[in-house]
Amino acid sequence: MDQNILNTHKELVEKCKLGDRIAQHKLYMLYIDAMYNVCKRIVKIDEDAEDIIQDCFIEAFGKLSSFRYESTFGSWLKKIVINKSINHLKKRKIQIVPLNNEIYHLKEETIENSPKMDIKKVSKGIELLPAGYQQIINLYLIEGYDHVEIGEVLGITASTSKSQYHRAKKKLIEIINRL
Amino acid sequence: MDDFEKHIRENKALFDFHEADKSKIWKNIEARLDKPQPKPKVIRLINYPFLKVAAVFLIGLGLFFIANITTSNTEKSEVAQELIDIDMHYKGLLSYNVKLLNKNSSLTTEQKEEFLSFMDDLDVEYEALKKELLRGLDSEIVLEAIVANYKKRIELIENLLKQINSSEKNISNDKETYIL
Repeated sequence: MDQNILNTHKELVEKCKLGDRIAQHKLYMLYIDAMYNVCKRIVKIDEDAEDIIQDCFIEAFGKLSSFRYESTFGSWLKKIVINKSINHLKKRKIQIVPLNNEIYHLKEETIENSPKMDIKKVSKGIELLPAGYQQIINLYLIEGYDHVEIGEVLGITASTSKSQYHRAKKKLIEIINRL
Repeated sequence: MDDFEKHIRENKALFDFHEADKSKIWKNIEARLDKPQPKPKVIRLINYPFLKVAAVFLIGLGLFFIANITTSNTEKSEVAQELIDIDMHYKGLLSYNVKLLNKNSSLTTEQKEEFLSFMDDLDVEYEALKKELLRGLDSEIVLEAIVANYKKRIELIENLLKQINSSEKNISNDKETYIL
């Protein structure tokens, strides 16, 4: 990745490393909405999302000294948010992957080229997906994670993630078409 | 990646329609940032009963060794002082007896030297006993052996002197008899 992109908000991040409260607030204001939305898409409940986001920023400011610009600050922070949000679901024993994840993924499914759709309908369709499919769709389509990263976060193999994503996408398109 | 996926990824910003209560969340974050960081968790091992026993045992063992070393040092200094006292007493007696023997005119110088040569053997024995003391062997027995060593040397000289004196008396008696 281009070093200029990796160094986005570097000056602000460096001030935050020194504990500069004004810089911390500026950085917070830059990322709060994006991070809140990432979290809200996963945990659904406003209060839970607020608590998790607080924890994420506290953790991020706390271990900022270990941030070495190997990724952008945003993707580093997003990783914290996604991990904390998924862990929250795990603690609540909320399903994060489909129950039949290991059984039916051997055969590669053919994917029809899906048409462009209204984003509002897509968003509504994701909400109507079974809980186990929602996380894979969110992580792959919206957060831009690849299947290896999704596998690490959800505790499944990359191939399971791939097959479940295709099933989830097929289901999503069916739902959207009915809306 | 098909058109559906591309379309979503290109428009993913449109999924961010939730709005956070920024000031409320920041207030909570700031309050937590102001709090002093929690101290690292200390695991109080001493709370475990078996560790208490082990700790008491180790402390006891330590005290025993310290006491032992102190006692041992005290004992060593006592033994050294005792050896000095023994040396002072018996060396004086021994040199007195050696002088008496040397003054005696009944024996020739060669005879005296031959007799006193046994002293060399006893000197070797004395040095060996001193080494035993330094090695920390049973000091009481070694000190007794040193005293015995001195006594033997003195006794031998005394016996010799007695024998010389008694023979001189006999000679003088004989002389008297002879005179008488």
